Amino acid sequence: MKNGLRCLVVVLMAVMVISGGAFAAEKTLINGIDANYPPYSFIDKTGKPDGLDVMAVNWIAKEMGFKVKHQPTEWAAIIPSLKAKKIDFIASGMSVTPERKEQVNFTVSYYQTVMVLVAKDISALTVDQAINGNLKWGVQRGTSEAKWIEDNLLKKGKAFKLQQYDSAPLAMEDILNGRIDVAAVSTTSAEEFMLKGMAIRIIGKYGQPDDETAYAVRKEDTELYNKLNDGLKKLMATPYWQELKHQYGLR
Amino acid sequence: MSQGMTAIQEGFWYLLEGAWVNLIVVVGALIFGFLLGLPLALGQVYGGKILRRVFAVYVWFFRGIPLLVFLFLFYFGLVAWLDINLSAFTVAVIVLGLISAAYQSQTLRGALLSIPEGQMKAARALGMSDFQAIFRVILPQSIRLSIPGWSNEYAILLKDSAVTYALGVSELMSRTNHVASRTYQHLYLYITAGILFMILTYAGTRLMGMLQKRLTVPGYTR
Repeated sequence: MKNGLRCLVVVLMAVMVISGGAFAAEKTLINGIDANYPPYSFIDKTGKPDGLDVMAVNWIAKEMGFKVKHQPTEWAAIIPSLKAKKIDFIASGMSVTPERKEQVNFTVSYYQTVMVLVAKDISALTVDQAINGNLKWGVQRGTSEAKWIEDNLLKKGKAFKLQQYDSAPLAMEDILNGRIDVAAVSTTSAEEFMLKGMAIRIIGKYGQPDDETAYAVRKEDTELYNKLNDGLKKLMATPYWQELKHQYGLR
Repeated sequence: MSQGMTAIQEGFWYLLEGAWVNLIVVVGALIFGFLLGLPLALGQVYGGKILRRVFAVYVWFFRGIPLLVFLFLFYFGLVAWLDINLSAFTVAVIVLGLISAAYQSQTLRGALLSIPEGQMKAARALGMSDFQAIFRVILPQSIRLSIPGWSNEYAILLKDSAVTYALGVSELMSRTNHVASRTYQHLYLYITAGILFMILTYAGTRLMGMLQKRLTVPGYTR
């Protein structure tokens, strides 16, 4: 028993040293992603990160000469993770908002997201009914849409209830379950969901201005900021960028 | 149905790797918790007044705050503040270990106290020092008595380890979400995760049961 215990301790220590050593050996930049956010970033069938942002960053890393690893990170904690240096940047369909701008630096925008409400495909709800009725809304926690809805609708006296979810797919699941009536998502996500056969429909825009999507970097990290910004601009000038957008269903 | 099965098939190895991560986290936390819990227990039973008080505060502190709060506190607060960069995995092992130490110390304390006081006196009468009496007579018996408690602790830690998904530890729960977000087969994937957790719990508690039988001293009754 004593020997067994000692063996386990040694193995555990070895695991820690190896996992720690891998970090120290070569400086690989870490891209924090929301792994539950297709088509921007998700985990593919083989367990590897995939998505528009993942492929774009891989191209940029190759072009600008750095190594990159995509680290799934809880979305609601992604900016604290960046500031605590758990990750080095965020390329995962992040919307530029004034609040986030105070915390991080954003690269040039690479996509405009349009935010819409979705409901069950058999639902006859209109946007007006959704906003002014006594319904239940769903939204992903820690997103620009969650903030906008709270500031511009709920704080201005609208009566609907807002239910927050860990990921957009979970909000969709609850629409199908009938637990919420509508959910606010980007058209990109909504189209992806419908493509995968979810019985939902877009009922329309609810008033949030279109979001700019960009990569986020720590404020003091100007070197990395320049690399990402230049790389992204280069990428967007290539035909590969159009291919990528087409491949992942973005317009 | 068939879409659900396909999703499970596709994601199975990815999920299984996640379950393995849970297991490593739990075993790590159990060992760390034991190494810390043992002195805590001994101190609480045999220590002086101040030591007892200090250790009691430790136990009270780590039993009184939810796991998720500790995880965030360590990962984003303490570790970042001290400017040491520990991985989410390491923080998960440390935090679960610190909490487990509090619980394990109580299991061990109970076991230590259940050994009749006469044994201590007898050992002293045979010329053993306090230290020898504890480590040669009391502790070997107490550790055997603690096994059912550890079995329980293992099952609790295993389930707690699912919470570490909030830090992005690549364990079963976060991996289940990854596969579900791609395939939209939430029901089937959560069922799979549940079954994998049940298998792990069953296997672990069975192992502890076997260990207990193996270590029983024949003819020994309390």
